[in-house]
Amino acid sequence: MSQADKPLPDALGRGASLKQLTVANLWRAYYRHHIASAKDSLSRLWQQPLSSLMTWLVIAIALALPQVLAIAVSNIDQLGQGWQGRPGLSVYLHKHIKAAKAEALLAQLQGDALVVEGAYISPSQALAEFEQASGMSDVLAGLGDNPLPGVLQLSLIDEAGLEQVKVLRQQLQQRPEVAQVDVDLQWLQRLQQILELGKRLNWLLAGLLALGVLLIVGNTIRLAIAARKEEILVVKTLGGTNAFVRRPFLYTGIWYGLGGGLLALLLTQLCLWALSGPVAKLAGSYGSDYSLLGLGLADCGFLLLASSVLGWLGAGLAVGRHLAAIEPGD
Amino acid sequence: MIQLHNVSKRYPGGFDALSNLSLEIDAGEMVFLTGHSGAGKSTLLKLIMLMERATRGQVLVGGENLNKMPARKIPFLRRQIGVVFQNHQLLFDRSVYENIALPLVIAGFDPRDIGRRVRAALDKVGLLSKEKLNPIALSGGEQQRVGIARAVVNKPPVLLADEPTGNLDPKLSAEIMTLLQQFNEVGVTVMIASHDLDLVKRMNKRLLTLEGGQLVHDGSVEVL
Repeated sequence: MSQADKPLPDALGRGASLKQLTVANLWRAYYRHHIASAKDSLSRLWQQPLSSLMTWLVIAIALALPQVLAIAVSNIDQLGQGWQGRPGLSVYLHKHIKAAKAEALLAQLQGDALVVEGAYISPSQALAEFEQASGMSDVLAGLGDNPLPGVLQLSLIDEAGLEQVKVLRQQLQQRPEVAQVDVDLQWLQRLQQILELGKRLNWLLAGLLALGVLLIVGNTIRLAIAARKEEILVVKTLGGTNAFVRRPFLYTGIWYGLGGGLLALLLTQLCLWALSGPVAKLAGSYGSDYSLLGLGLADCGFLLLASSVLGWLGAGLAVGRHLAAIEPGD
Repeated sequence: MIQLHNVSKRYPGGFDALSNLSLEIDAGEMVFLTGHSGAGKSTLLKLIMLMERATRGQVLVGGENLNKMPARKIPFLRRQIGVVFQNHQLLFDRSVYENIALPLVIAGFDPRDIGRRVRAALDKVGLLSKEKLNPIALSGGEQQRVGIARAVVNKPPVLLADEPTGNLDPKLSAEIMTLLQQFNEVGVTVMIASHDLDLVKRMNKRLLTLEGGQLVHDGSVEVL
């Protein structure tokens, strides 16, 4: 535009011409517009607190759900990990076996290369533990006779393979004193598999819910674009680039995502608080001081980042689809 | 500054808004464009702003061939062309000041520079005292003057006006025309589409008359 670039006679008093827009100036202008767009889009959200809060809450629930499930899975996993290294056997004795005989058997078994340690739990001890754990002392008292057998609890060496454990179990099963032998490892392995399945399911769920967040933000931005159609037309007529028009909407998406992420953290923390009491009680009944694993700083950071990116992407999708359709002159 | 060579515009559906139109407007000229509704006035202005593209022929603005201009360059063309609309297209969610500042914000001017330029433009159209008001609180003539201030605030070399006095009484219309003429006097190329033949005649500038998408008169206002 050679003629257009010629300095114009000054119609509006002394001043710089368009030529003063150097690269450095434009870079500053670009930065300024980012800041202005971020501020303006946030203040627009504040101006409609109720509808913004609704959107934030929907996003927060969608994000908190997989988060809470992930925490549940990792806690169960953590509990399992504690035992997994120590496979154990519960050796249930026949009811007529007396304590002395049980102790003798225990001493004998402790000589086995696979056994690290063992303990004898007498029927009365077992009953006491059961009473405490179940809180059904009245019912148990009504039974009169103690229905529980004595148990030898054996911890095996960490390196004990499944095959070795099976052989030991068979040997024990053949003894006349022994009624039944349970391998503690089996349920742990099953738990592990179930947890693996749970993690997979949770990832799928998280993926679906993330898609939901994309659509929620996309739809909200679509409405915002429709509401500001006049402004977009004027800005495009005055020479606003697509990036200039897009920017405030992308920031709106980021704010929706970030706000939803913050609320999701709050919801998750509330769930943890609500659960921590019962968990401590449960752990106490097993003689453990286990407490819930919560959200780490890295987890929080990841959630906020992911939610912001989701908001930005959702806005980007809506903006890409709907802004191109708004062109002056139609 | 503005050249059209054998330009035709056919809208989807087969309506020929312009057919084989050629004309040339030099830098610093002031030109009036008249013709009945549907004669092609608005289409001509849209071609110059690249709101529409010619079906055939060439449109050149400032020596640049608009036919070949890629979409990403269109915003920068539009920054060189100030436009005044009949319905002025002001934004009622912000003040007069912010409306006029918009082209400067879009072009990336420094905020301090923006203040100075906006007030200069406001002063020029005589609305310096109303910068903080919402344009909805202004009269029709004042709103149109805000529209003009917005169109010239970044000193575009070309100013287009589409029926700028369409909604105004004769006295206000004359004021608006005088204002546009003042910009022309300092070198801005001005093109005004208007129905108001009396006013056009009094302005006594070059006259282009369109009829059925063709140029039927190019010369003095004596024919009116």
